[in-house]
Amino acid sequence: MNEAANGNYLDVQGLVKYFGSDRAVDGISFGVPKGRFLTLLGPSGCGKTTTLMCIAGLHKPDAGEISVGGALFTSVSQRAYLPPEKRDIGMVFQSYAIWPHMTVTQNVAYPLEIRKLSHSEIGDRVAEALRLVGLSDMAGKLATNLSGGQQQRAALARAIVFRPRLLLFDEPLSNLDLKLREQMRVELKRIQHEVGITSVYVTHDQSEALVMSDDIIVMSKGVIQQTGGPHAIYARPLNRFVSNFIGVANLLDGRIVRVFGPGRGEIEVAQGGDKVRLPCLLADGIGEGSEAVLSVRPENVDALRDPQGLGAGIRGEVIQTIFLGNCQDCRVRWGDFEWKVLAHSRERLRPGDRVYLRLDPEHTLAVRP
Amino acid sequence: MATEILTRPVEDAPTSRWHSIFTQENIATTLASLLVGAAVILPLFAIILSSFQILDSSGFGTEWGLDNYRSLLKDRVIYGAFVNTLLISSGATLLATFLGVSLAWINARTNCPWRGKLEPFNLIPFFLSPFVGAIAWHNLAAPKVGLLNNLAREILGIKGHLLNVDNIYGVIWVTGIFFTPLVYLFVVGSLRRMDPSLEDSARTTGAGLLRTTLTVTLPLVTPGILSGAIIVFVTSAGEFGVPFKLGAPYGWETLTTQIFTKAVGDDANHYLGAAMSMTLGAITAFFIWIQRRIIAPREYTTVTGKGFRPNLIDLGPWKWAALAYNLAYLFIAVLLPLVCLVIVSLHPVWEGRIIFTDLTFWNYKKTLFFWWPERIVSATNGIVNSFILAFIGASIAMILALVVSYMIHRTKGFGSRLLDFLCVIPIGFPGIVIAMGVLVTYIKTPIYATLWIILLGYITRFFPYGQRNISAVMLAVSEELDQSSRMAGASWLTTLKRVTIPLLKPGIFAGWILLFVIFLRELSISIILYSTGTETLSVGVYYLTNFENEPLTSALSVAQSVVLLLCVYFFRRIAGREALTA
Repeated sequence: MNEAANGNYLDVQGLVKYFGSDRAVDGISFGVPKGRFLTLLGPSGCGKTTTLMCIAGLHKPDAGEISVGGALFTSVSQRAYLPPEKRDIGMVFQSYAIWPHMTVTQNVAYPLEIRKLSHSEIGDRVAEALRLVGLSDMAGKLATNLSGGQQQRAALARAIVFRPRLLLFDEPLSNLDLKLREQMRVELKRIQHEVGITSVYVTHDQSEALVMSDDIIVMSKGVIQQTGGPHAIYARPLNRFVSNFIGVANLLDGRIVRVFGPGRGEIEVAQGGDKVRLPCLLADGIGEGSEAVLSVRPENVDALRDPQGLGAGIRGEVIQTIFLGNCQDCRVRWGDFEWKVLAHSRERLRPGDRVYLRLDPEHTLAVRP
Repeated sequence: MATEILTRPVEDAPTSRWHSIFTQENIATTLASLLVGAAVILPLFAIILSSFQILDSSGFGTEWGLDNYRSLLKDRVIYGAFVNTLLISSGATLLATFLGVSLAWINARTNCPWRGKLEPFNLIPFFLSPFVGAIAWHNLAAPKVGLLNNLAREILGIKGHLLNVDNIYGVIWVTGIFFTPLVYLFVVGSLRRMDPSLEDSARTTGAGLLRTTLTVTLPLVTPGILSGAIIVFVTSAGEFGVPFKLGAPYGWETLTTQIFTKAVGDDANHYLGAAMSMTLGAITAFFIWIQRRIIAPREYTTVTGKGFRPNLIDLGPWKWAALAYNLAYLFIAVLLPLVCLVIVSLHPVWEGRIIFTDLTFWNYKKTLFFWWPERIVSATNGIVNSFILAFIGASIAMILALVVSYMIHRTKGFGSRLLDFLCVIPIGFPGIVIAMGVLVTYIKTPIYATLWIILLGYITRFFPYGQRNISAVMLAVSEELDQSSRMAGASWLTTLKRVTIPLLKPGIFAGWILLFVIFLRELSISIILYSTGTETLSVGVYYLTNFENEPLTSALSVAQSVVLLLCVYFFRRIAGREALTA
C-alpha cells in the first residue's frame, strides 16, 4: 500500500481552502509519483503556498483529501486530520526558520531527538546530512552567524535528516541574491536527486521552475491552469495566462478559420485594417470558428528586410533595436500592436526599416483565451 | 543515502472528531481564554451591578436605583473629591509633560554631557513607589516637621514655613515628578527613532534650527507626547498613595481616597464605592480609548523601526545648564526623598531636625526582622507576603500572558480578536477600581481575606503589561520558526518548550521583572483587598504611617526602595545581555 490508486505517491483531490470569503484554493486535484520533483508555479496570491500548507498539515482545508503513500493525511469528508508533527514531512521555509538559539548541529539534530534516536546515531546522521549540503565545517556555529545561503543549506539538512516521506519547499530561494539563487537551484536539485525524496516546490519564479522540476503545475486564482513537464509548459502553453506568465510571448486575439487535421489549423488575426491568416498548432479544446489567442515567442519570429517579394503576411516597421551579438532584440509596429522579435537576420536592422515577419509555423500557437 | 523513512510506519489520520478538538493547543488556549475572560469580565460586571444597588437605612438590604450616582453630585465631599481628582490629574499631567519632554529632548537630541549615563537614572522614579515619595516629601516639606522648612528657619531665619506639601499642590508636585518618566519614555523613543533626514530636509529648505524644531521635530513627536500625557493623567487619577498621604488628611479628598473610605472602615458602603469606581473607571477608560484608537496610530516615527543616528544639537555653553537641569530633576525626584527617608528612619522620633546623638537602627529592627518577637506584625507580614505575591503573581501572569500572546498572534479568527480586546480592558481601569470589582465579586467566597484574592487582583490588573512585553518579541519572531518545529515532528507543547519559549525569553524575562517590581510596591489593590495577616509591603507602610510614626514608616520605605532599586539594577544587567541573543 504505497501509492494511491492512480499510481501517485502524493495525491491531492478536490482541495478547497477559504480565507474569510476568499477562495484561496478552489478545488484543485493533482498527484506526484514517487521520487518526482513537482513545482507549483504562479503569481503571488494564486494559492500555491496555501496548497503546500495544507499538504504540510499547517492549514486545514475546507474540502478535499490529501494522502501520502496510500495513507490518508487529511480528509474533510471523513473528518480525518493528521497533525503536522505526525506526517513525517520535511519542509524548507521561505525565511529558512533556522532557530537562532541553537547551533547548526542542534538545529539539524532536533527532528532526530524528537524521534528519540540514540546519541551516536544522531551524530552520524547529522554529520551525513551536513556533508550532503556542504556545511560540515559550520556544525558548531550558532545559526545566527550563518549567511543566508548557509542558513538555507542548514534548513535543507534539517528537513532531510529524518528521511521524510515528502519534502516541501516554500519559495526557499526568494530571499537570496541572484547569483546565489542560481547556484542553489542546481544544488537543491542535485541533493533532491541524491536522496530521492518526492518533493513539492512552490515558487513564483518561472526560470526556477523550468530548471528544477520534473513536472510543473501553473496556478492562478486558486485553480490549475496547466500541468506538464518544463518543456511542454514552455513550448505548448494551453492558454493566454500560461503563455504570458512563462517566458515572453506575442499575444494577439484572433479566430480559428480552418482546421487541417489533428492539432493543426489556421488562425486569422487583424490589426489596423490589415488581416492575415497564419498556419498554427492548436491547443486542446480549440476547433474551427472558436475564439483563440495567437501566441508566438520572440525567438520564433524573424524579421526580414525587403518585404516586397515575400507574398502575403505581416509587414511592419522597426521602431527600436538592441544589438545582442547573436541576435537583435527588435520592436516591430504592426497596426497598434508591437511585436517583440529576436531577429536572426544577418543584415543589421534599424528603426524605420520596413520588415516582413516570418513566423515559424511549428512554434506558432493558437491557445485558449 | 538510504531513502527509508525513520521510525514510524505509514499511518492513516484518525477520523474521530474528538482527536481534532482535544489537542494540546486547543485545551491550553481555551483554558487561558476562559481564565482571562472570567478574571476581566466578572469584576467589571459585578461592579456595574453593585453601583445600581442602594443600601437601605438599616444597612443590610438593598434595592435598585440611581441614588449612588446622585450622591456624586449632591454629596459635597464626593463632589469635591471628583473635582479634586480632575484638578490633580491635570496639574500632574502638565508638570510631568513639561519635565518629561524637556528631559527627553536634552537626552536624545542635544550634546548635553553625560547623557548616556543619566538615562537610566531618569527612569528610576518610575520604579519607586509614589506613596513612599509622598511620605518622603511630607518629611521634607510639611509646615512643622519638614526638614527643609526647619533648615530654612534655622539658616535663613524665616518665620513660619517656606514650603507646604500637605495640600493639593503637594499632591500635584509629587505625582508629577514621579510620573515624569512615563512621558519621558514615550518621547525619548520617538525622538531617537526619528529619521534625521526629515530634519535635514527642513534645514536645506532654509529653515533655521529653532524653526525646524518647532515645525518638524515637535509635530512629529506630538503623538508621543500626547500618549505619555494621557497615561500620566489616567495613572494620576487612579493614584491612591499620594493623595492619601498629602491630600486627604488635610481636607483634599480624591475619588480614590473616597473609594477607600467606602470600601473599608466604619461607614463602609460597597455600593456607593462601586458607583464612584464606575465614575473613575469611565473617565480613565475613555482617555485610554482615545490614546489607543486615535493617538497611538498617529505615532509616525515608530513605524520605521530603523536605527537612526539622530542629529545632535550643539547647545554651546548652555549644555552645562541642560546638565544642571537634569541633575536638579534627579536630585528632587530621587536623591532628596531617599536621603530624607534614611535620615528620618534613623531617629527614634522625628521632629523635623537631625539629632546626631539619637541615631539608631531600632526602627529597622522593628519593621524588617520578621522573626523577632518585638516586631510590628503588620509591617513584617507585608515583607513576607509581598515577596510571595510578587514571585507567584509574576510567574502565573507571565504564563497566562504567554498563552494569550500566542493566541493573539499565532491564531486567527474571532477568539484572537476578542482576547486582544480583553487584554486592553484592565489597562483602562485604575487598580483601585479593579480591586473594588474583585472585592464585590468574591466577598462571599472562601478566597476573601486570603492572599489569593490579592493575587487575583494583581494578575487581573497587570498581566496585560506582561502580555505587551511578550507580544513585542513575538511580533519580531517569525511564525515559521514554530511551524518548522511542528514539521520536524514536535508536538505543540514540545514546540512551545523548545522553540517558542526560548526565543521569547528576553520578553518573558523583562515582563516578569516588571511585574515583580510592580507587585512589590503595589498599594491601591492591596489596600482594598487585604485583611489582618495578608498585609503587603505597601500596606505595611500605610499601617505604619497611619498608626505608628514617621521614623518606622521611613525605615520600611527605605527597605522597599532598596529592594526595588536592586531589582531594576539586575533587570538592566541581565535583560541587556539577554536582549543580545534575540
